[in-house]
Amino acid sequence: MPLQVFFLRRLLLTIPLLIGITLVSFIIANAVPSDPVSANIPQNAFDNEEIIAAFRAKWGLDKPPHEQYLTYLGNLLRGDLGVSIKTSKPVLEDIRQFLPATIELASFGILIGMALGIGTGIIAAVWRNSLADYLTRSNVVIGVSFPIFVLALIGLNLLHVQWGIVAGPGRLDFIMRDPPNVTGLFMVDAALAGQWDKFSNAFSHLILPAFVLGSYVAGIIARITRSSMLEVLGMDYIRTARSHGLHERRVIIHHALSNAMIPIVTVIGLSTANLMTGAVLIESIFAWPGIGRDAFRAATSQDFPAIMGVSILIASIYVLVNFIVDILYYFLDPRIRVA
Amino acid sequence: MRKSVLFVLAVAVVLLAGFGAAAQDEKVLVIGHTEQTDFYDPANGFTGTTSLVRRATYDTLVTFPDEDASEILPSIASSWAISDDGLHYTFTLDDSFLFNNGDSVTADDVVFSIQRLKYVNGNPSFLAAGIDSVVANEDGTVTFTLPEVRPTFVTELANTAFSITNADVVRANGGTDGMDAAETDGAADYLNQNSAGTGPYQIDSWAPQDETVLVRNPNYPGEAPYFDRILIVNIPEAATQKAALESGQIDIATDLSPDQMTELEGNPDVNIWRGPGQWNHFLIMNADPEIGGPVSDPRVWLAVRLALDYEGYLQLWPGSVTPGSVMNYFLAGAFQDDRALSRDLDRSKALLAEAGYPDGFDIDLKYPDWNAFGIDMNINAQKVQADLAEAGINVTLAPGEFSIALEEYRLGNAGFGYWLWGPDINDPVDVLAFVPGGKVATERLRFTEERAPAEILELRDAVKKESDPVRRAELFDQIQVWLQESGNFAPFLYPPTQTALRVGINGYNWHPQWVMDVAIISRDEM
Repeated sequence: MPLQVFFLRRLLLTIPLLIGITLVSFIIANAVPSDPVSANIPQNAFDNEEIIAAFRAKWGLDKPPHEQYLTYLGNLLRGDLGVSIKTSKPVLEDIRQFLPATIELASFGILIGMALGIGTGIIAAVWRNSLADYLTRSNVVIGVSFPIFVLALIGLNLLHVQWGIVAGPGRLDFIMRDPPNVTGLFMVDAALAGQWDKFSNAFSHLILPAFVLGSYVAGIIARITRSSMLEVLGMDYIRTARSHGLHERRVIIHHALSNAMIPIVTVIGLSTANLMTGAVLIESIFAWPGIGRDAFRAATSQDFPAIMGVSILIASIYVLVNFIVDILYYFLDPRIRVA
Repeated sequence: MRKSVLFVLAVAVVLLAGFGAAAQDEKVLVIGHTEQTDFYDPANGFTGTTSLVRRATYDTLVTFPDEDASEILPSIASSWAISDDGLHYTFTLDDSFLFNNGDSVTADDVVFSIQRLKYVNGNPSFLAAGIDSVVANEDGTVTFTLPEVRPTFVTELANTAFSITNADVVRANGGTDGMDAAETDGAADYLNQNSAGTGPYQIDSWAPQDETVLVRNPNYPGEAPYFDRILIVNIPEAATQKAALESGQIDIATDLSPDQMTELEGNPDVNIWRGPGQWNHFLIMNADPEIGGPVSDPRVWLAVRLALDYEGYLQLWPGSVTPGSVMNYFLAGAFQDDRALSRDLDRSKALLAEAGYPDGFDIDLKYPDWNAFGIDMNINAQKVQADLAEAGINVTLAPGEFSIALEEYRLGNAGFGYWLWGPDINDPVDVLAFVPGGKVATERLRFTEERAPAEILELRDAVKKESDPVRRAELFDQIQVWLQESGNFAPFLYPPTQTALRVGINGYNWHPQWVMDVAIISRDEM
């Protein structure tokens, strides 16, 4: 199948998926047995019918649900996600404010997770049933089962408060001014502005939360890498490669790992989407102004436009990551190109 | 190989060089705080963080002392006079106040600010609903007219929602004080990112849910505040606030739990400020038999109050006090703990028997599953459950998601519950919310005037109009006695307000109206 056809087919499939996601998000947001009025109007104004009526009219809550949904969908097609009830800013603007922080954190998290996970997974597979294998398997269990917020709090208290070897909460020291905003990614923006003190400060703030996030996904990646590598290492073509006298490193990296990559790419893709959207706890603990914290804020204040906006963003991230994974399959697995 | 090692080392040096060092000459105060705000626009915002920022960036006609709300002091108004019929208040303005762009404050600015607050239908607009008119007089004074006598009116004006804004600036940015302001005013966005006030600071920027930055007002005519810049950083996780305070990243942590405060007591770099709290924790009992069931009986109300182990709550939350009544205990005339009820299980059981429940009864306790400013309500609910079990009342805990529980409470559909209250007005009149006909008693707990005895309604009506301070205090005393004996609330805990500060921070004082005044805070010079 030509790449263009494969690409187009995958792209078209995302359209009904995204529309379905808006509908499900809308139904769930409206199914909550509570009224956004009580979450967004102060107690003392709750008795003022004029204020409540004005609030309902302003946010379209006085219209029937199907009308609200169709209006929302129409606005969405024009790129308008509405205005957040809580911040009074366009939802898109809020997303623009919070998303870069999450992208920066999740990117480093997944890089650390990949480095740790693939590295230890290969070691465990190559030296199967060795001490290294047992250690890797134990770490996988610990990494996956240890509550991430406990790891974060221990890390914060030991590495930051007690030993002072990494920076604490926030994206920069609080008294530092942000670098000039170009991408919203502090390390990139600081580098572009030549502000190397801020670049290194941003890195020192990033390393701990990214490591905590990365250590969580590293366990899953390591497990998949190990089992996938074990399967490939038992194949005839690996024995053939070795019998040709190839260097062991070349056999493992070029022949074994490249053929074991499909399940690894799948789990990395899912982990990336998870980190981008599921870092609520880490963002809260590290006072990281990202999209996870905004999503939690939106949900607890029943800020429907923000809930919908964030839901669609999260769904889009999953769709995008799956789309990229599918494209990678195309290159990694010749059978897909032939099918 | 050697080159790559050197490269890695160079990168590591660059990356680690910035950690821990942010030396600068600027004096910056960093406050770690759980941001609770949706607007900094004085006419639209009505939350704790909003009050803190408004105190720093605006002034009101009258104000409270720095320490508490014990008296009313002049501010933009240098003096005021009340007409004989008690309906007209005329304020003379102090001409030394300047807005942050250098303009003087005029009577027109006052009229504009009050009318905009009233008509914009913002969250605090209800505060101005009881003002018939506000007029700028030819002599530069301002006259308010009220529909009925209200001795608390001047106290109400000390609320930071009545901040005086620069009318020209607000108008130039889309603001209006017209009666159609709810639909036509467009200044909120501007006033969320800028201030147009007379306070010692002005808003530099606000990134919602992230950080608010205040800088000095260049045209402030008074003594310049100590800090050049104030950063109010949103750190919703209390453990993170604690870590940031211990490492010196922040100077003040406002939201630590009592346990965390105890852990910090031995830290030589941290001081703990403790003072009276704002929140009264109490049980609610619905007066409608169809909703409250057994707890709609006034004898059960008293039985529940007498069954609570008040001492036990003080042990749970060190530094707390037992409320003498449901009136917040820092308000003038509020019963202190020396007039609080004590546990009397025998009398409690006798009252239950008298009400027809000699073997007690089963009931659900509804409350929000919430950490209320450092107090885990679940812990208190469990204690209530244990206390009432000793009187024979079998309580099933029914915690709910905050907004869902709040809605049920506000709509008056909660039978037996646990809630808390901080005063809207820093005047004893606030307690009338708990008296039949008041917001909490009637609208939320169905203790209607029809169900109430005449004596409390007479007391309520008399105190609303009483302006003589001695007579007023007597009436509030009688109201509190009545509430203790016959009210449908069981107040059991006033947790303290606790704030953790880095050593060297001076002048901090928690305030019931504006949380803290950053302009009076300073730091020891090194």
